[in-house]
Amino acid sequence: MNLDALTEEGIAALSDAAGEPSWLRDRRLAAFKHTLDRGWPNSREDEFWRSTPFDRRIDVDRDLVTTGSGASAPGGIVDGLELEAAQLRIVDGSVVEATVPTALAEQGVVVADLADALTTHGERIEQLLGQLTTADAEGTGADEDKTIGVNDAAFTVGAFVHVPAEVEVAVPIGIHLHVTQPGAHLPRILLDVGHHAAVTVVLEHTSAAGTDALVDEVLEGFVHDGATVRLASVQSWHDEIQHLSLQKLQVHRDADVSTVAVTTGGATVRLRPETDLVGPGAQVRPLGVYFATDGQWFDLQPYVRHIAPHASSDVLFKGALQGDSRSVFRGNVFVDKDAVGTSTDENNKSLILTKGARADATPFLEIHCADITAGHGSATGQIDALHLFYLESRGIRREDALRLIVFGFFREVLREIDIPGIEDAALAAIEARVEAADLSAVQVNDAALRDAVSA
Amino acid sequence: MADLEIRDLYVEADGAEILRGVNLDLDKGKTIALMGPNGSGKSTLAYAIAGHPAYDLTGGTITWQGTLLNELAPDERARLGVFLAMQYPVEVPGVSLTNFLRTAVNAVNEEDVPVREFMQRLRAEMAELGVEESFLQRSVNEGFSGGEKKRFEILQAALLKPQLAVLDETDSGLDVDALKTVAEGVNRLSGPDLGTLIITHYTRILRYIQPDEVHVMFEGRLVASGGPELADELEAKGYDEIRASA
Ligand SMILES: Nc1ncnc2c1ncn2[C@@H]1O[C@H](COP(=O)(O)OP(=O)(O)OP(=O)(O)O)[C@@H](O)[C@H]1O
Ligand SMILES: [Mg+2]
Repeated sequence: MNLDALTEEGIAALSDAAGEPSWLRDRRLAAFKHTLDRGWPNSREDEFWRSTPFDRRIDVDRDLVTTGSGASAPGGIVDGLELEAAQLRIVDGSVVEATVPTALAEQGVVVADLADALTTHGERIEQLLGQLTTADAEGTGADEDKTIGVNDAAFTVGAFVHVPAEVEVAVPIGIHLHVTQPGAHLPRILLDVGHHAAVTVVLEHTSAAGTDALVDEVLEGFVHDGATVRLASVQSWHDEIQHLSLQKLQVHRDADVSTVAVTTGGATVRLRPETDLVGPGAQVRPLGVYFATDGQWFDLQPYVRHIAPHASSDVLFKGALQGDSRSVFRGNVFVDKDAVGTSTDENNKSLILTKGARADATPFLEIHCADITAGHGSATGQIDALHLFYLESRGIRREDALRLIVFGFFREVLREIDIPGIEDAALAAIEARVEAADLSAVQVNDAALRDAVSA
Repeated sequence: MADLEIRDLYVEADGAEILRGVNLDLDKGKTIALMGPNGSGKSTLAYAIAGHPAYDLTGGTITWQGTLLNELAPDERARLGVFLAMQYPVEVPGVSLTNFLRTAVNAVNEEDVPVREFMQRLRAEMAELGVEESFLQRSVNEGFSGGEKKRFEILQAALLKPQLAVLDETDSGLDVDALKTVAEGVNRLSGPDLGTLIITHYTRILRYIQPDEVHVMFEGRLVASGGPELADELEAKGYDEIRASA
């Protein structure tokens, strides 16, 4: 079945082949009907797609990859997690491994193929799946973007993570998604964290070299009262991958969420880390780092919706660009009329290393409530000649000085990541980019020279 | 030939001529104090020696131990033993102080000092200069107070062991105790292998660090010189006489 030509029969067959319960089959078909009369995003009309030309960057004329390929996932971050970690590996259209250490299983922690979990936790999944995308969930509604609708209708593989109330999972749960087959991959991840539970999830994305594929991914997460969730999403794709990702979390009373997106791979990566703060006192810290090089296009759209009062959010994304790469930051913060006592801040900083790279930033605030504190900012700049001089004047060679400055730029974000292994992994990914970069082509901003000297 | 020889030096910044024919000799083992009114060009001379990119050397030469510095990059000069403690040390966001110092020490020594050995040395020097351990976690000069920045400049000098130290108003912004600590730090570095050029407005620091000569800069030239007594004279009388005779 081609992603651009989904059919009712095709989707029904997909559901039947997987032996899915009828509610899920019905839901897929309803989602399909909903997407039918909608076109793919049009960058001239759709404000969320304005900066990224959908028709040039995303190819939807691809067959769905619905089965496994026998390939195995390479080592990576998830592989490096501790032995007591629960892990799940998806390769192409199938879950090839799902391991939950006994100690966690006994506490009711589930990390499973969604298809299997339908038998063991069917009721729970029926309550949650699609609530934040297809269904009219209170406050935030359905997602009108067809790229989300097709995942609702035809997701090809899924994972279910459940942490029961009051269970604290000490070691990160690893989910590794590896793509080896060309075509359209529609993975679905459902995350259900009970009240006062605590968990860290590391979601790693890799592909085999040369695999030309579209990955249209949806992660839906429910974070209940007082829970703590750390979510890292690492995009280490090879160069040919087009990746659309919605990571939508619903965050309840006093829950504490922080997310970090580390993006260095992929031809086009469009990330939507979204949070709905639906309970008073909820807080979210969406972080992102990215390093784009020749040919890459990263579109980052963190979205925070303050529905409940006294919640807080603090968005920080930083990226470096070189070659002819592009980044788009379109941050959104929505504050509902009843969200009194909201505190929000939203920032994006880009470092343009070489001529030809471009970063667009538009932080949006949509505020319907007077009694809040809100800030936002964006800055795009080059390496500061004065910083460079200071380091060089201590004997540090230019290339080493540039490296230190670039890492320093990212450190503001990296030092906030409190997920074991992720700070190092992010640093390593960025390091690899910096090592490969042609530092002799780096452009330095000397506008600051005069001001600073006579400070 | 003196170790540092500055001959008929002309320097421009932003198209404006700032230094107009400076001549100065400094040998290792000696200390020269450079004084002069605000805006006379003292920092410009310091930056010109260090290779600051905003300052163009339009005439004359700076020679250090026989090597012409004019065209050398700042890092090359530093590796020849030249060190500038800046009047306004630069905040470099996010760059870890420890990484920065280690990279600098390795570059200047042209060899990788083992981490443990380096950290021992660093901790020892920090203790001597009264810099708290917590600074190891901080970024280069970021959020440092004025006095902390000055102390950190001298900490760098202590680690890099230069042969030419230009101290540009290292004494400004220091409280009395800090001034003493910093001056002692400089004195520990001093010896037959270090030439020191101290730029200052006050004689206070010169009580700790005895200059062999005092020079006065005015409108981009050195217009007067003498022994340590000249500094006292200037402090008492100001620059009126120099202005009048210029
Ligand atoms: N980068 C620059 N661009 C343009 N003019 C400059 C620049 N740097 C310095 N100047 C000017 O050159 C003159 C000398 O400046 P300099 O900083 O060398 O003075 P100074 O003697 O160190 O003064 P102070 O005692 O106040 O530190 C001043 O008029 C200053 O404004
Ligand atoms: Mg000065």
